[in-house]
Amino acid sequence: MLANTDALLLAVTQLSQPITLLLLVVGIVIGLIIGILPGLGPPIAIALALPFTFYLEPVPSIILLLGIYSAAIYGGSISAIAVGIPGTGAAIATVQDGHKMFSAGRGGEALGFSLTGSIFGGLVSVVCLAFIAPLLAEFAVRFGPRENLAISVFGLMVVVRVAGQSLSKGLLMGALGLFLTTWGLDELNGTERYTFGSYHLYEGLPLVPFLVGLFAMSEVFISAERAHHKINFNQSSLKVQLPGWRTLVKLKDVLIRSSLIGTVIGIIPGEGAAVGAFFAYSEAKRRSKNPETFGTGVAEGIVAPETANNATVGGALVPTLTLGVPGSPAAAVLLGALIIQGLSPGTQLFVEHPDLMYAIFIGLFAINILMIFIGLLAIRFAARLIMVPTAVIVPTVMLLSFVGVYSVSNSFFNVGVMLGAGILGYVVRKLGYSIAPLSIGFVLGPILENSLRQSLTLADGSVQEFFNTPIGLSIYAALALTILWGPVVGRFKKDKS
Amino acid sequence: MLTQRVSNILFAILIIVASIWFAIEAQGFKAAGLLASSGLPSKFFPQLTLGFMVVCAVIVAVLYSLKKIDGSDKSDTVYKNAAEARQGLAVLAVAVASYFTWSTFGFVTMAVLMGPVCLAAMGIRSIKIYITVILLTAFIYAIFTQLLNIRLV
Repeated sequence: MLANTDALLLAVTQLSQPITLLLLVVGIVIGLIIGILPGLGPPIAIALALPFTFYLEPVPSIILLLGIYSAAIYGGSISAIAVGIPGTGAAIATVQDGHKMFSAGRGGEALGFSLTGSIFGGLVSVVCLAFIAPLLAEFAVRFGPRENLAISVFGLMVVVRVAGQSLSKGLLMGALGLFLTTWGLDELNGTERYTFGSYHLYEGLPLVPFLVGLFAMSEVFISAERAHHKINFNQSSLKVQLPGWRTLVKLKDVLIRSSLIGTVIGIIPGEGAAVGAFFAYSEAKRRSKNPETFGTGVAEGIVAPETANNATVGGALVPTLTLGVPGSPAAAVLLGALIIQGLSPGTQLFVEHPDLMYAIFIGLFAINILMIFIGLLAIRFAARLIMVPTAVIVPTVMLLSFVGVYSVSNSFFNVGVMLGAGILGYVVRKLGYSIAPLSIGFVLGPILENSLRQSLTLADGSVQEFFNTPIGLSIYAALALTILWGPVVGRFKKDKS
Repeated sequence: MLTQRVSNILFAILIIVASIWFAIEAQGFKAAGLLASSGLPSKFFPQLTLGFMVVCAVIVAVLYSLKKIDGSDKSDTVYKNAAEARQGLAVLAVAVASYFTWSTFGFVTMAVLMGPVCLAAMGIRSIKIYITVILLTAFIYAIFTQLLNIRLV
């Protein structure tokens, strides 16, 4: 392992390479564009950029994807404020006050609040990531197969719980994701499983085409249904007016509290940016002296969700980088990027590639700073982007997905897998299923199967042994608490009333 | 219009049938050589997940049958109207056709046809949009072939 200073210097050197700096800017620009376009969120943005990372070194490729991730979450707020259509799920909470303020002719202020909140939340979460991730990674070194199994089950179950209204539907998708990873040669003994006589399937279903299909192609089919929807809004209100120092001092409590809420919620696997934004919004409303004004176009109603949703980015990277358990669908795609770079996310990443970790921390910090300037510029062009017809987006994203996936290994098989995953994603989304558990199950499948088989072998087939470890037991207890907390509290309140 | 209730029940049945078929297939997994007896059999994890899927699918089917889940009403349909269904499914068909066009007639034929056919499938009549999409197609082609040096055949 490199000494800390050496690793830090190496990270700075890698980050200051012209190609990395260029990709940092390109990532922010792409993320903003895709975030502003209604319907295309961070997972789709990252999935579409994944094939390009095949041609890059680990640091530039991760910086590109992190730029896209952060900027796409912020970009969603621009269309939420301007037209009342959130570009991403994370911006849904911003619509209420943001669009009201915009409609009242105070669009510049609303956009200024959203940009300030996003940058502040992003910066706080990076600092938290830099402090928490190494500590968690150091602790996670003690993890064996039983602990890995427990943390994978935890990650998957929490995603299932928050992904949709129906638990059984979420579990079904999670299990389907796990099952699809069993295709191909068994890693432990070389048995052919569901290869159907095709050598393409020896390595199983490829990750990148599967994720691109699931997120991007399914969205293409769904967007095609509303190709004739028209957007009308007042473009004259689309100028940013950054809040002054006095306003910022007045909003400091909301900024700090929402940043911490967003970071903590981001760390919990599955909770994601949308939950963080709503939670911060409701907390700001609860603590406000004038809660009745929320929803009428108040600054706190924009600052709280926007600060929290960008703060979830750093938070979501904590379990992704330290435990290999993605904190959100976007983080799952990011995890895929690390895997295709030949890196294994988890504790070993900190031991074997400390320079990459430092590059991620510093890079994410730089992304948030640069987003102030690029964000200000982007808002000027946002009107044109928001007005881009869905009819143009549909064939463009479709062609980009086809070519991007093909270019990964010049294989038609990849395109076929992407198409299959796209159709599967479209069907399940139309039937009211969430694709988040399916994607996380697909990413966690190999870890879960290997740790389950190793645990069972070590325990001579005894399931009881799974709980015979303090860390594992604590994780299962946390899982039980997470699942049962809502219903138990609900029942208690019902009995009391 | 196809209701959420009927389609979800049909999907659950499809999952159950497919799971049973895959579980039977898994019975035939055989490891060769010295590793054959090491650890748990290869069929264990797939059959475990398939069993879990069957249980979940049965619960989903029962919940929809008894109308004890959101979206069980007659008014809850998969598509809002016929036009939406036509556009979504037509673009899906274009995507599948594009895959076969590429593998049979080559990339250029597919790329030239994909955009306009896709727009026609969505019922778009604006010439401006057709021209924009064709220009974007050329732009994507140039990026991949010139900038990334990828041979698109």
